[in-house]
Amino acid sequence: MPEKDSTIPPINKEEALARIGGEEEFLNELLEIYRQEFNRRYVELEKAVAEKDFQMIRESGHSLKGASANLSLPALREAAYEMEMAGKNQDLSAAKNALKKLKSEFDRLQKFLSQKG
Amino acid sequence: MEENRKEGAASQKNVSILVAEDDPVARRLLEKKLKDWGYRVYKADNGEKAWEILRQPDLRIAILDWMMPGMEGPELCFRLRQTRKPRYTYLILLTAKDTSFDVIQGLEAGADDYMTKPVNFMELKARLQTAHRIIELEDRLLQARKKLMRLATTDSLTHAWNRRTIMKFIKEEISRYTRGGRPFGLLMIDLDNFKQINDTYGHQAGDTVLRNLVKLFIKNLRNYDRVGRYGGDELIVLLPASDIFNTGILAARLLDLTRKSKIRLRTGEKISITLSIGGTAVDSLSQTQINNLIQTSDRALYLAKKLGRDRAILFGDSVNLEITEKQNARKR
Repeated sequence: MPEKDSTIPPINKEEALARIGGEEEFLNELLEIYRQEFNRRYVELEKAVAEKDFQMIRESGHSLKGASANLSLPALREAAYEMEMAGKNQDLSAAKNALKKLKSEFDRLQKFLSQKG
Repeated sequence: MEENRKEGAASQKNVSILVAEDDPVARRLLEKKLKDWGYRVYKADNGEKAWEILRQPDLRIAILDWMMPGMEGPELCFRLRQTRKPRYTYLILLTAKDTSFDVIQGLEAGADDYMTKPVNFMELKARLQTAHRIIELEDRLLQARKKLMRLATTDSLTHAWNRRTIMKFIKEEISRYTRGGRPFGLLMIDLDNFKQINDTYGHQAGDTVLRNLVKLFIKNLRNYDRVGRYGGDELIVLLPASDIFNTGILAARLLDLTRKSKIRLRTGEKISITLSIGGTAVDSLSQTQINNLIQTSDRALYLAKKLGRDRAILFGDSVNLEITEKQNARKR
Protein backbone atom coordinates (compact mmCIF):
# COMPACT_ATOMS: atom_id res chain seq x y z
CA MET A 1 0.00 0.00 0.00
CA PRO A 2 2.70 2.58 0.76
CA GLU A 3 4.23 2.07 -2.69
CA LYS A 4 0.90 2.65 -4.28
CA ASP A 5 0.35 5.81 -2.24
CA SER A 6 3.59 7.36 -3.28
CA THR A 7 2.61 7.21 -6.93
CA ILE A 8 -0.32 9.52 -6.25
CA PRO A 9 0.65 13.21 -6.20
CA PRO A 10 0.77 14.50 -2.60
CA ILE A 11 -1.64 17.29 -3.47
CA ASN A 12 -4.76 17.21 -5.56
CA LYS A 13 -4.20 20.71 -6.79
CA GLU A 14 -7.25 20.93 -9.00
CA GLU A 15 -9.53 19.96 -6.18
CA ALA A 16 -7.81 22.33 -3.77
CA LEU A 17 -8.01 25.22 -6.21
CA ALA A 18 -11.64 24.52 -6.95
CA ARG A 19 -12.41 24.56 -3.25
CA ILE A 20 -10.70 27.86 -2.51
CA GLY A 21 -12.00 29.65 -5.56
CA GLY A 22 -9.25 29.19 -8.13
CA GLU A 23 -6.61 31.65 -6.96
CA GLU A 24 -3.17 30.09 -7.18
CA GLU A 25 -1.67 32.86 -5.07
CA PHE A 26 -4.11 32.20 -2.27
CA LEU A 27 -3.38 28.48 -2.44
CA ASN A 28 0.31 29.25 -2.00
CA GLU A 29 -0.49 31.43 1.00
CA LEU A 30 -2.50 28.59 2.54
CA LEU A 31 0.26 26.08 1.81
CA GLU A 32 2.69 28.33 3.64
CA ILE A 33 0.32 28.53 6.62
CA TYR A 34 0.08 24.75 6.41
CA ARG A 35 3.86 24.36 6.39
CA GLN A 36 4.21 26.41 9.57
CA GLU A 37 1.31 24.64 11.23
CA PHE A 38 2.69 21.25 10.30
CA ASN A 39 6.10 22.05 11.78
CA ARG A 40 4.51 23.27 14.99
CA ARG A 41 2.24 20.24 15.26
CA TYR A 42 5.03 17.84 14.37
CA VAL A 43 7.18 19.06 17.27
CA GLU A 44 4.11 18.80 19.49
CA LEU A 45 3.44 15.25 18.30
CA GLU A 46 7.05 14.14 18.78
CA LYS A 47 6.84 15.36 22.34
CA ALA A 48 3.40 13.80 22.86
CA VAL A 49 4.60 10.41 21.55
CA ALA A 50 7.68 10.56 23.79
CA GLU A 51 5.48 11.39 26.78
CA LYS A 52 2.68 9.01 25.77
CA ASP A 53 0.27 11.94 25.92
CA PHE A 54 -2.55 10.27 24.00
CA GLN A 55 -4.93 13.17 24.44
CA MET A 56 -2.46 15.48 22.73
CA ILE A 57 -1.75 12.86 20.05
CA ARG A 58 -5.42 12.70 19.28
CA GLU A 59 -6.03 16.44 19.24
CA SER A 60 -2.99 17.34 17.17
CA GLY A 61 -3.72 14.50 14.77
CA HIS A 62 -7.29 15.66 14.44
CA SER A 63 -6.29 19.23 13.75
CA LEU A 64 -3.67 18.24 11.16
CA LYS A 65 -6.20 16.00 9.50
CA GLY A 66 -8.54 18.95 9.02
CA ALA A 67 -5.81 21.19 7.64
CA SER A 68 -4.68 18.46 5.23
CA ALA A 69 -8.21 17.84 4.03
CA ASN A 70 -8.76 21.53 3.32
CA LEU A 71 -5.79 21.59 0.98
CA SER A 72 -6.55 18.22 -0.62
CA LEU A 73 -3.44 16.48 0.70
CA PRO A 74 -4.78 12.89 0.75
CA ALA A 75 -1.68 11.07 2.03
CA LEU A 76 -1.05 13.59 4.79
CA ARG A 77 -4.69 13.52 5.71
CA GLU A 78 -4.51 9.74 5.97
CA ALA A 79 -1.38 9.85 8.14
CA ALA A 80 -2.96 12.48 10.41
CA TYR A 81 -6.08 10.35 10.69
CA GLU A 82 -3.95 7.37 11.74
CA MET A 83 -2.37 9.60 14.34
CA GLU A 84 -5.74 10.69 15.67
CA MET A 85 -6.88 7.06 15.87
CA ALA A 86 -3.67 6.03 17.59
CA GLY A 87 -4.38 8.66 20.21
CA LYS A 88 -7.94 7.54 20.56
CA ASN A 89 -6.97 3.87 20.89
CA GLN A 90 -3.93 4.66 23.06
CA ASP A 91 -1.78 2.71 20.62
CA LEU A 92 1.79 3.94 20.97
CA SER A 93 3.32 1.91 18.15
CA ALA A 94 0.61 3.10 15.75
CA ALA A 95 1.39 6.65 16.83
CA LYS A 96 5.09 6.11 16.11
CA ASN A 97 4.29 4.74 12.67
CA ALA A 98 1.97 7.64 11.95
CA LEU A 99 4.67 10.08 12.99
CA LYS A 100 7.10 8.54 10.49
CA LYS A 101 4.50 8.57 7.80
CA LEU A 102 3.65 12.20 8.47
CA LYS A 103 7.30 13.17 8.17
CA SER A 104 7.90 11.30 4.92
CA GLU A 105 4.65 12.53 3.35
CA PHE A 106 5.39 16.09 4.36
CA ASP A 107 8.88 15.86 2.82
CA ARG A 108 7.36 14.44 -0.31
CA LEU A 109 4.89 17.33 -0.50
CA GLN A 110 7.61 19.94 -0.03
CA LYS A 111 9.70 18.31 -2.72
CA PHE A 112 6.74 18.13 -5.05
CA LEU A 113 5.91 21.80 -4.49
CA SER A 114 9.48 23.00 -4.98
CA GLN A 115 9.74 21.07 -8.25
CA LYS A 116 6.52 22.60 -9.46
CA GLY A 117 7.44 26.07 -8.28
CA MET B 1 -34.20 54.96 16.66
CA GLU B 2 -35.58 51.57 15.75
CA GLU B 3 -36.47 52.91 12.35
CA ASN B 4 -32.80 53.11 11.42
CA ARG B 5 -32.55 49.36 11.38
CA LYS B 6 -35.66 48.90 9.33
CA GLU B 7 -33.88 48.04 6.14
CA GLY B 8 -31.09 45.58 5.58
CA ALA B 9 -31.12 44.54 9.17
CA ALA B 10 -28.80 41.75 8.20
CA SER B 11 -27.17 42.71 4.93
CA GLN B 12 -23.71 41.21 4.84
CA LYS B 13 -22.00 44.59 5.17
CA ASN B 14 -22.97 45.18 8.75
CA VAL B 15 -22.99 41.59 9.91
CA SER B 16 -20.17 40.42 12.10
CA ILE B 17 -19.28 36.77 11.98
CA LEU B 18 -17.05 34.71 14.21
CA VAL B 19 -14.80 31.99 12.89
CA ALA B 20 -13.71 29.78 15.78
CA GLU B 21 -11.34 27.19 14.44
CA ASP B 22 -7.99 26.00 15.75
CA ASP B 23 -6.71 24.86 12.37
CA PRO B 24 -5.02 27.94 10.86
CA VAL B 25 -5.57 26.75 7.28
CA ALA B 26 -9.31 26.40 7.72
CA ARG B 27 -9.41 29.64 9.69
CA ARG B 28 -7.67 31.63 6.97
CA LEU B 29 -9.74 29.99 4.26
CA LEU B 30 -13.02 30.83 5.98
CA GLU B 31 -11.82 34.32 6.79
CA LYS B 32 -10.98 35.08 3.17
CA LYS B 33 -14.23 33.69 1.81
CA LEU B 34 -16.36 35.52 4.34
CA LYS B 35 -14.51 38.79 3.77
CA ASP B 36 -14.99 38.36 0.02
CA TRP B 37 -18.71 38.00 0.69
CA GLY B 38 -18.71 41.25 2.68
CA TYR B 39 -18.74 40.11 6.29
CA ARG B 40 -16.82 41.63 9.15
CA VAL B 41 -14.82 38.65 10.42
CA TYR B 42 -13.65 37.94 13.96
CA LYS B 43 -11.31 35.01 14.54
CA ALA B 44 -10.63 32.75 17.48
CA ASP B 45 -8.26 29.81 17.71
CA ASN B 46 -9.57 28.45 20.98
CA GLY B 47 -12.79 28.11 22.93
CA GLU B 48 -12.14 30.82 25.52
CA LYS B 49 -11.38 33.45 22.93
CA ALA B 50 -14.44 32.38 20.96
CA TRP B 51 -16.57 32.79 24.07
CA GLU B 52 -15.36 36.37 24.58
CA ILE B 53 -16.30 37.31 21.03
CA LEU B 54 -19.59 35.39 21.04
CA ARG B 55 -20.92 37.52 23.84
CA GLN B 56 -20.51 40.77 21.88
CA PRO B 57 -24.02 42.05 21.20
CA ASP B 58 -23.41 42.79 17.52
CA LEU B 59 -22.00 39.35 16.80
CA ARG B 60 -24.87 37.64 15.00
CA ILE B 61 -23.38 34.61 13.25
CA ALA B 62 -20.72 32.20 14.44
CA ILE B 63 -19.03 29.28 12.75
CA LEU B 64 -17.69 27.05 15.50
CA ASP B 65 -15.39 24.10 15.11
CA TRP B 66 -16.62 21.12 17.08
CA MET B 67 -13.19 20.17 18.40
CA MET B 68 -11.21 23.04 19.81
CA PRO B 69 -8.82 23.48 22.69
CA GLY B 70 -10.34 25.23 25.68
CA MET B 71 -14.01 24.87 24.96
CA GLU B 72 -15.52 22.74 22.24
CA GLY B 73 -18.20 23.89 19.83
CA PRO B 74 -21.21 22.27 21.48
CA GLU B 75 -20.24 23.64 24.89
CA LEU B 76 -20.01 27.13 23.41
CA CYS B 77 -23.47 26.71 21.90
CA PHE B 78 -24.86 25.51 25.19
CA ARG B 79 -23.30 28.30 27.21
CA LEU B 80 -24.42 31.00 24.81
CA ARG B 81 -28.00 29.78 24.89
CA GLN B 82 -27.92 29.96 28.69
CA THR B 83 -27.09 33.67 28.61
CA ARG B 84 -29.81 36.17 27.91
CA LYS B 85 -28.16 37.77 24.92
CA PRO B 86 -30.63 40.36 23.66
CA ARG B 87 -30.13 39.64 19.97
CA TYR B 88 -30.09 36.20 18.45
CA THR B 89 -26.83 34.62 17.34
CA TYR B 90 -26.98 32.00 14.62
CA LEU B 91 -24.60 29.14 15.35
CA ILE B 92 -23.12 26.78 12.78
CA LEU B 93 -21.06 23.83 14.01
CA LEU B 94 -18.24 22.36 11.93
CA THR B 95 -17.42 18.70 12.21
CA ALA B 96 -14.87 16.44 10.59
CA LYS B 97 -16.49 14.11 8.10
CA ASP B 98 -15.19 10.83 9.47
CA THR B 99 -15.28 11.61 13.17
CA SER B 100 -18.12 9.89 14.89
CA PHE B 101 -20.13 12.80 16.14
CA ASP B 102 -23.64 13.20 17.24
CA VAL B 103 -25.65 15.66 15.19
CA ILE B 104 -28.41 15.51 17.76
CA GLN B 105 -25.99 16.37 20.54
CA GLY B 106 -24.81 19.43 18.62
CA LEU B 107 -28.29 20.64 17.78
CA GLU B 108 -29.53 20.01 21.29
CA ALA B 109 -26.65 22.04 22.66
CA GLY B 110 -28.15 24.96 20.78
CA ALA B 111 -26.55 24.96 17.33
CA ASP B 112 -28.78 26.05 14.45
CA ASP B 113 -26.96 24.15 11.77
CA TYR B 114 -23.89 22.03 11.17
CA MET B 115 -21.52 21.42 8.30
CA THR B 116 -18.84 18.85 7.65
CA LYS B 117 -15.24 19.72 6.86
CA PRO B 118 -13.69 20.43 4.49
CA VAL B 119 -16.29 23.10 4.01
CA ASN B 120 -17.98 23.33 0.66
CA PHE B 121 -18.21 27.07 0.16
CA MET B 122 -21.19 27.07 -2.16
CA GLU B 123 -23.01 25.20 0.53
CA LEU B 124 -21.78 27.55 3.24
CA LYS B 125 -23.00 30.54 1.26
CA ALA B 126 -26.44 28.99 0.92
CA ARG B 127 -26.56 28.14 4.60
CA LEU B 128 -25.59 31.66 5.53
CA GLN B 129 -28.66 32.83 3.62
CA THR B 130 -30.70 30.80 6.06
CA ALA B 131 -28.82 32.45 8.90
CA HIS B 132 -29.72 35.85 7.50
CA ARG B 133 -33.36 34.92 7.21
CA ILE B 134 -33.46 33.88 10.85
CA ILE B 135 -31.62 36.96 12.04
CA GLU B 136 -33.85 39.25 10.03
CA LEU B 137 -36.96 37.56 11.38
CA GLU B 138 -35.62 37.91 14.88
CA ASP B 139 -34.81 41.58 14.35
CA ARG B 140 -38.25 42.26 12.96
CA LEU B 141 -39.84 40.45 15.86
CA LEU B 142 -37.82 42.52 18.29
CA GLN B 143 -38.79 45.73 16.51
CA ALA B 144 -42.43 44.73 16.48
CA ARG B 145 -42.25 43.96 20.17
CA LYS B 146 -40.68 47.35 20.89
CA LYS B 147 -43.33 49.07 18.84
CA LEU B 148 -46.12 47.17 20.56
CA MET B 149 -44.58 48.00 23.90
CA ARG B 150 -44.54 51.68 22.97
CA LEU B 151 -48.12 51.53 21.72
CA ALA B 152 -49.26 49.76 24.85
CA THR B 153 -47.59 52.14 27.27
CA THR B 154 -47.89 55.57 25.71
CA ASP B 155 -50.68 57.88 24.78
CA SER B 156 -50.89 58.13 21.01
CA LEU B 157 -51.75 61.83 20.94
CA THR B 158 -49.21 63.27 23.32
CA HIS B 159 -46.64 60.44 23.58
CA ALA B 160 -46.85 60.87 27.32
CA TRP B 161 -47.22 57.64 29.32
CA ASN B 162 -50.78 56.40 29.17
CA ARG B 163 -52.93 56.19 32.25
CA ARG B 164 -52.29 52.54 32.98
CA THR B 165 -48.53 52.99 32.73
CA ILE B 166 -48.24 56.16 34.80
CA MET B 167 -50.36 54.48 37.48
CA LYS B 168 -47.96 51.55 37.41
CA PHE B 169 -45.03 53.93 37.88
CA ILE B 170 -46.78 55.56 40.83
CA LYS B 171 -47.39 52.15 42.41
CA GLU B 172 -43.74 51.26 41.93
CA GLU B 173 -42.71 54.53 43.53
CA ILE B 174 -45.00 53.80 46.47
CA SER B 175 -43.48 50.39 47.05
CA ARG B 176 -40.01 51.86 46.73
CA TYR B 177 -40.99 54.41 49.35
CA THR B 178 -42.49 51.88 51.76
CA ARG B 179 -39.30 49.85 51.58
CA GLY B 180 -37.65 52.80 53.24
CA GLY B 181 -36.94 54.77 50.14
CA ARG B 182 -37.13 58.35 49.18
CA PRO B 183 -40.14 60.66 49.14
CA PHE B 184 -41.81 61.55 45.88
CA GLY B 185 -44.22 64.12 44.54
CA LEU B 186 -47.32 63.84 42.42
CA LEU B 187 -48.97 66.57 40.37
CA MET B 188 -52.38 66.51 38.71
CA ILE B 189 -52.46 69.14 36.03
CA ASP B 190 -55.46 70.62 34.33
CA LEU B 191 -55.38 73.00 31.40
CA ASP B 192 -57.30 76.14 32.22
CA ASN B 193 -60.17 76.84 29.85
CA PHE B 194 -59.37 73.89 27.64
CA LYS B 195 -62.97 73.59 26.58
CA GLN B 196 -62.88 77.16 25.37
CA ILE B 197 -59.77 76.48 23.27
CA ASN B 198 -61.55 73.57 21.66
CA ASP B 199 -64.70 75.55 21.10
CA THR B 200 -62.89 78.58 19.70
CA TYR B 201 -60.13 77.03 17.62
CA GLY B 202 -61.37 73.49 17.07
CA HIS B 203 -60.30 70.14 18.46
CA GLN B 204 -57.13 70.00 16.41
CA ALA B 205 -56.00 73.12 18.19
CA GLY B 206 -56.77 71.46 21.50
CA ASP B 207 -54.66 68.48 20.44
CA THR B 208 -51.76 70.73 19.47
CA VAL B 209 -51.90 72.47 22.82
CA LEU B 210 -51.81 69.19 24.70
CA ARG B 211 -48.98 67.81 22.61
CA ASN B 212 -46.89 70.93 23.00
CA LEU B 213 -47.51 71.07 26.70
CA VAL B 214 -46.29 67.51 27.23
CA LYS B 215 -43.20 68.29 25.15
CA LEU B 216 -42.55 71.38 27.23
CA PHE B 217 -42.91 69.44 30.48
CA ILE B 218 -40.63 66.62 29.45
CA LYS B 219 -38.00 69.04 28.22
CA ASN B 220 -37.97 71.00 31.45
CA LEU B 221 -38.38 68.31 34.07
CA ARG B 222 -35.61 66.05 35.31
CA ASN B 223 -34.95 63.00 33.17
CA TYR B 224 -36.32 60.62 35.80
CA ASP B 225 -39.60 62.50 36.18
CA ARG B 226 -42.59 60.94 34.42
CA VAL B 227 -45.35 62.67 32.54
CA GLY B 228 -48.55 60.77 31.92
CA ARG B 229 -51.97 61.48 30.51
CA TYR B 230 -54.68 60.78 33.04
CA GLY B 231 -57.69 61.74 30.98
CA GLY B 232 -58.89 64.33 28.44
CA ASP B 233 -56.90 67.41 29.39
CA GLU B 234 -55.58 66.09 32.67
CA LEU B 235 -51.93 65.21 33.00
CA ILE B 236 -50.12 63.53 35.86
CA VAL B 237 -46.52 64.23 36.69
CA LEU B 238 -44.60 61.87 38.94
CA LEU B 239 -41.58 63.40 40.62
CA PRO B 240 -39.31 60.80 42.23
CA ALA B 241 -36.96 61.86 45.00
CA SER B 242 -38.92 65.02 45.79
CA ASP B 243 -40.37 66.17 49.09
CA ILE B 244 -43.24 68.67 49.25
CA PHE B 245 -40.91 71.62 48.73
CA ASN B 246 -39.10 70.16 45.71
CA THR B 247 -42.52 69.30 44.34
CA GLY B 248 -43.58 72.89 44.87
CA ILE B 249 -40.52 74.21 43.07
CA LEU B 250 -41.17 71.95 40.09
CA ALA B 251 -44.86 72.89 40.05
CA ALA B 252 -43.88 76.58 40.05
CA ARG B 253 -41.52 75.91 37.16
CA LEU B 254 -44.28 74.27 35.11
CA LEU B 255 -46.72 77.09 35.84
CA ASP B 256 -44.15 79.65 34.86
CA LEU B 257 -43.03 77.93 31.65
CA THR B 258 -46.60 77.40 30.52
CA ARG B 259 -47.53 81.00 31.23
CA LYS B 260 -44.60 82.27 29.19
CA SER B 261 -44.97 79.88 26.28
CA LYS B 262 -47.09 80.86 23.34
CA ILE B 263 -48.42 77.83 21.55
CA ARG B 264 -48.53 78.26 17.81
CA LEU B 265 -51.48 76.62 16.13
CA ARG B 266 -51.46 75.22 12.63
CA THR B 267 -53.43 78.25 11.51
CA GLY B 268 -50.53 80.42 12.61
CA GLU B 269 -52.37 81.87 15.60
CA LYS B 270 -50.55 81.91 18.91
CA ILE B 271 -52.40 81.28 22.12
CA SER B 272 -51.42 81.58 25.75
CA ILE B 273 -52.47 79.06 28.29
CA THR B 274 -52.29 78.57 32.02
CA LEU B 275 -52.49 75.57 34.28
CA SER B 276 -54.15 74.57 37.48
CA ILE B 277 -52.13 72.12 39.48
CA GLY B 278 -53.03 70.04 42.49
CA GLY B 279 -50.44 67.91 44.11
CA THR B 280 -49.03 66.14 47.06
CA ALA B 281 -45.82 64.55 48.18
CA VAL B 282 -45.30 61.33 50.02
CA ASP B 283 -42.87 62.02 52.79
CA SER B 284 -44.45 60.18 55.66
CA LEU B 285 -46.15 56.83 55.84
CA SER B 286 -49.61 58.34 55.98
CA GLN B 287 -50.29 58.06 52.28
CA THR B 288 -49.22 54.80 50.81
CA GLN B 289 -52.36 53.98 48.88
CA ILE B 290 -52.47 55.08 45.29
CA ASN B 291 -56.15 56.01 45.56
CA ASN B 292 -55.41 58.31 48.47
CA LEU B 293 -52.67 60.04 46.52
CA ILE B 294 -54.87 60.63 43.52
CA GLN B 295 -57.73 61.79 45.75
CA THR B 296 -55.54 64.22 47.67
CA SER B 297 -54.12 65.64 44.45
CA ASP B 298 -57.60 65.89 43.00
CA ARG B 299 -58.84 67.82 46.02
CA ALA B 300 -55.88 70.15 45.74
CA LEU B 301 -56.56 70.62 42.04
CA TYR B 302 -60.20 71.44 42.75
CA LEU B 303 -59.12 74.08 45.23
CA ALA B 304 -56.59 75.54 42.78
CA LYS B 305 -59.33 76.01 40.22
CA LYS B 306 -61.72 77.42 42.77
CA LEU B 307 -59.16 79.97 43.91
CA GLY B 308 -58.89 81.38 40.40
CA ARG B 309 -56.78 78.96 38.31
CA ASP B 310 -53.19 79.55 37.12
CA ARG B 311 -51.82 78.26 40.38
CA ALA B 312 -50.77 75.16 42.24
CA ILE B 313 -52.08 73.86 45.53
CA LEU B 314 -50.09 71.17 47.29
CA PHE B 315 -51.32 69.19 50.28
CA GLY B 316 -48.40 67.79 52.19
CA ASP B 317 -48.37 65.74 55.35
CA SER B 318 -47.28 68.64 57.51
CA VAL B 319 -47.62 71.65 55.27
CA ASN B 320 -49.88 72.94 52.51
CA LEU B 321 -48.57 75.25 49.80
CA GLU B 322 -50.12 77.65 47.36
CA ILE B 323 -48.06 78.78 44.40
CA THR B 324 -49.21 81.67 42.21
CA GLU B 325 -47.56 84.03 39.78
CA LYS B 326 -47.26 86.98 42.13
CA GLN B 327 -46.08 85.45 45.31
CA ASN B 328 -43.96 82.37 45.30
CA ALA B 329 -44.78 79.42 47.49
CA ARG B 330 -46.55 80.45 50.65
CA LYS B 331 -47.92 78.41 53.43
CA ARG B 332 -51.65 78.13 53.69
